[in-house]
Amino acid sequence: MVARHIKETELAAVAAAWARSYRVLAPVREGAAIVYRVFSEDMHPFLGRPPTSSAKEALLPQTENLFTYKYRKDQADLTRTEVFLSEALPPEPTLILGPRPCDARGRHLLDRVFLERGVVDPQYKAHRAATLFVSVACTSLQNTCFCHWTGGGMDDETGSDVLLHPLNGGFVAKAVTPAGEKLIAELPEATAQTLASLDERKAAAQTPDQAPEQTPDLKDIAGSFLAVFADLDFWTDQSARCLSCGVCTYLCPTCSCFNITDENQGMSGRRLRTWDTCMSALYTLEGSGHNPRGSRAHRLRNRVGHKFCYHPREFSEAATEPSGLEFSCTGCGRCIKSCPVAVDIRQIVLDVLDKAREKAAETAGAKGEEAK
Amino acid sequence: MNANNPYIPELATIIETFDETPDVKTFRVVLQDPAKMAAFRFEPGQVAQLSVFGTGESTFVICSPPTRMDYLQFSVMRVGELTHRLHTLKEGDPVGLRGPLGNHFPYQDMRGKDIVFVGGGLGLAPLRTLLLFMLDNRADYGAITLIYGGRTPEHLCFKDELKEWANRGDMRVELTVDNPNEGWQGRTGVVPAVLTDLGVRPDNAVAVTCGPPIMIRFTLEALGKLGFKDEQIVTTLERRMKCGIGLCGRCNIGEKFVCVDGPVFTQAQLAGLPQEF
Repeated sequence: MVARHIKETELAAVAAAWARSYRVLAPVREGAAIVYRVFSEDMHPFLGRPPTSSAKEALLPQTENLFTYKYRKDQADLTRTEVFLSEALPPEPTLILGPRPCDARGRHLLDRVFLERGVVDPQYKAHRAATLFVSVACTSLQNTCFCHWTGGGMDDETGSDVLLHPLNGGFVAKAVTPAGEKLIAELPEATAQTLASLDERKAAAQTPDQAPEQTPDLKDIAGSFLAVFADLDFWTDQSARCLSCGVCTYLCPTCSCFNITDENQGMSGRRLRTWDTCMSALYTLEGSGHNPRGSRAHRLRNRVGHKFCYHPREFSEAATEPSGLEFSCTGCGRCIKSCPVAVDIRQIVLDVLDKAREKAAETAGAKGEEAK
Repeated sequence: MNANNPYIPELATIIETFDETPDVKTFRVVLQDPAKMAAFRFEPGQVAQLSVFGTGESTFVICSPPTRMDYLQFSVMRVGELTHRLHTLKEGDPVGLRGPLGNHFPYQDMRGKDIVFVGGGLGLAPLRTLLLFMLDNRADYGAITLIYGGRTPEHLCFKDELKEWANRGDMRVELTVDNPNEGWQGRTGVVPAVLTDLGVRPDNAVAVTCGPPIMIRFTLEALGKLGFKDEQIVTTLERRMKCGIGLCGRCNIGEKFVCVDGPVFTQAQLAGLPQEF
């Protein structure tokens, strides 16, 4: 596919051209945060750093209608009512500008849940079909980044339609999908010289392989997690600081749990799907008062377990380098960066591996004693 | 289930409602579209989501059997927002219904075996669907025993049916309450104690149990002492659910989802899962 070029100064004009055919979500600075807003001509998209929020809102909006309902009184007998339901409107064609490769990889992981697990989610499917990802490759790793643990990378194309490679005050645009190719077809071609500088820049960039000690061997993580599952003291210790605020799950590109609630206005209303969080006690509280995940230890355990044990076990065919497992974590680091009390999922994963090794050694020791 | 969109309920109408206990009410509903009602199929133990539009929806077991399709029955304890609202509804009121959802009791594997039902409180609801299914196919099953307990005689569900079942002559019914009142003719004490008292035999038998967590715990213990193996014990789990189709996330036990892989599990299956329920 032909590589195209966008000058930084022309970015807003390019976004404006796209906005004629799509609802364009573009990252803008708001205070200390970088958030996605619907593009308008007076906006300056900011692609300089990864957005604070993940790109999942393009596919799984924070709030959306599942359907609307309307009650009507029977005029002959006012104590009787009838109810009528209407399906939600189909999503608008959407283009999200500025996700990072870790976000785009999140799209692939959301597909696993909503398209591949069993029941196909019609609303997600419609969003998926109506949405283009124009992602931005990374040129450096932040200290919270760990995409290389989970099979991603700074210019991983998985899940993107177009990947923009930053270069000297502009971007080399490479199409990944046919839809992406069509989107950038009108842009000027990148010159051979530009492409050569891009290769040079990439060759000079710091890559995770240059710091191999930072990539732990995670091939045993699912089994290790199960080995320490019942050790509630370990999980209590790990979750001691957690406030159950849930920001880790809301900003996560792969967390997809949702709630379903009704919003009523007089005789009509709508049934909504909204993001939910397994960090909340209410998430699992049962009618009887029983709560299978009653403490923060249980809930943090579920978050880590889902990403590094349950998902790889559920999708065990999806072998992914470097660990041979597909995690429902893309290593974007948002849960680390935005946690108000510095809970670091990387450290928890490493501690799980250590603890499991410790337990295995204890068991082996005890067996040795018995044998004597 | 709506073929195009699993989140959109079928419209249904309450045709009958009555009190079972001070806080449990039974609802009998039919789908508004007669063709859809005629085509509705489910298996004993499957659940459905009932909607009261404007309040929300919750999961309940379909407690009538698939052998009796004049209506779908739900028996609902008043505990939260949705169930409070549901209890205010009357005959003729519309509700939404999504289902059937989840797996079902392994009734095919239970053929030819003695069946011991062990229930507490509203835990009898899922057992009722299987019990009635078995009574409607009586020749397929061996001896049937029901051990059922409640806090007081007033708190026992399906009271008329309990009498009817006791008088059928082809099954045994043992009732027990924690706090008897005057005139109570059944047993006094907890359900697991009755199991032990009766010395229920595990040979060629399956125990099916549902009730409050504390009852389940001691029932499993009692069944174990009587010699029941984990494979011979079947239970159905309660879990907070929203979507009912394995997507919203909350009912997971490890990588299993109670709304899809359950709610029915054998004790042997549960023993193989992360212990978080």
